[in-house]
This record gives sequence, C-alpha cells and structure tokens, in this order.
Amino acid sequence: MSTHIAHKLYWDFEKEEAWLNDKAAQGENLVRYRWGTYTFEQGAPREWIYRIELLPESIRKPSSQRYLQFMSDAGVQTVDTYLSWVYFRKPAADGPFELYSDMDSRIAHYTRVLTLYGTLTAALVATTASGLHSVTSNGLNFFTLPLFSLQIAILIVTASYALRVAKRVRALKAQKQLFE
Amino acid sequence: MPAETQGPLTETVFYVLLALHNPLHGYGIMQYAKEISEGRVNLGAGTLYGALNTLVEKGWIKPVAGDAGDRKKEYVITDNGRATLKIELGRLEELLRNGNRITKGEAQ
Repeated sequence: MSTHIAHKLYWDFEKEEAWLNDKAAQGENLVRYRWGTYTFEQGAPREWIYRIELLPESIRKPSSQRYLQFMSDAGVQTVDTYLSWVYFRKPAADGPFELYSDMDSRIAHYTRVLTLYGTLTAALVATTASGLHSVTSNGLNFFTLPLFSLQIAILIVTASYALRVAKRVRALKAQKQLFE
Repeated sequence: MPAETQGPLTETVFYVLLALHNPLHGYGIMQYAKEISEGRVNLGAGTLYGALNTLVEKGWIKPVAGDAGDRKKEYVITDNGRATLKIELGRLEELLRNGNRITKGEAQ
C-alpha cells in the first residue's frame, strides 16, 4: 500500500485533528506519528474519522491501557500514541464519532491540555528569563541571537495557545450554568 | 448510596442506568442509548468511560463476572442504582407536570 510522509508542528490539537480529518476525506489515513512526522497510508476517501485525546496519565500506566482496551472494545482503533497523546480513529460508516458528549468531560479534557501548556509556558518563561540575563551581561552575538529569538517565538506561541484554551474552559463553564 | 436530596442526574448517567437494566458492555450501552432516544443521544466513548468508573465507585452499577473467554467488561445496575433512578423519575415527573400545566394554555 502506498504511504507518504508529512512534517508538521501543531500546538492546537483541534486544528491538528481537523487537518487529519481533511486528509482522511481525501483517502490519506494517518497510520503513524512521531515528533512532527506523520505517516499516511492511501485508502478510500472518507473511510475514517480521527480524534485526538490527551490522557490524564502516561500511555504506559495501567489506567491508560485499560482505557485503550475499552476504546478498542467500543470499535475505536488506537492509531498511535505519543507521550500522553492518543490518535484514535473509527470507521466513518459507524456514524458520528466524538470522544465527549457532555460538558463536564469536555471541560476536564481542555483543563488537562491547559495544565500541559501552562506548565510548558512557565518552563519557557524561566529559561527565557535566564537567557535574557546572559544576553544582558554578554550581549547578543552571531550564535545567541537566533537561538534567543527562537526561544521567545516558541514562548509566545505556547502562551497564546494556553490563553486560548483557558478562554475556552471559561466559556464552557459559563455555558454549563444553562446546559448540561 | 442514593440520597433523597440528590440533584438532577446527567443525561449520560440517566441513560447508562436505563441501559444497564440488562447487562451490557460499553459499546452495547452506546448503541442502546442511541436506539431508545431515536438517534438523539450519542454517548462519547470517553465520556461513557468516565461515567462508568464513577458509577461503579458510587455503587449504582457493578461489573458482571463474565465468561472467562469474554474480555469485554459488562456492567449491570444495582439496587442503589434503581433507587437513584426512581428518585430522578419522580423529579422529572414533577418538571413535566409543572411545565405542561403552566405552558399549555399559551402554547395553543
């Protein structure tokens, strides 16, 4: 079967999910993910629906394994796992495929994503601050300038995504006062 | 333990408790809920998994000791689960009664 590879970096798992489903609509089905490298297998268009989830614990933990077993029993395939992220897919012929059908579980998932990116942002702020310290004492040069700019760029992207997720959580909580 | 002062059940919990009047595994519950709601209720597998764990902890449902060959876990409602459902049905009847009584004249 013919495969092809795409390299891409996503912060936003929902944009990533939408991209994977666009690919699947054209018959390009994700079969493997590693470090920004996506492997697609050519199949029939609109064969699969893809969903991405961040689990509460590492994939290797028994609780995560039990969950993946439950999903498999429910007809959901685990395409690949990456840190605590899982790429699921289900045949489109089975009908709509959503991981969450109520507000609480949706909020819990976004909160996990927020914790991850919040922690990442805090770590980046710390390293950028120490970088700034060395820049002010040693000055920028040919080597440190690109590195330092890259660090700041990553910090901005990560922080703005964390902020977006935080807003989403707030909006869902407000909506929960009216609807389940 | 069911409590007289319990709040409203979520739709997920309500349909899981209904579905488990007969032993079912996860996928069976999803299909059952979809069927009796005429396609309206599509339980997400992730949501259902969390609800099943919480309901077992609460003692409203319990895993069924199944055949050795069958690795799919089945669940069934407990007496506590039935009592909880009964209280909820009473609450829903009250909502429906009041809702109908107060809006009926205006709706026509």
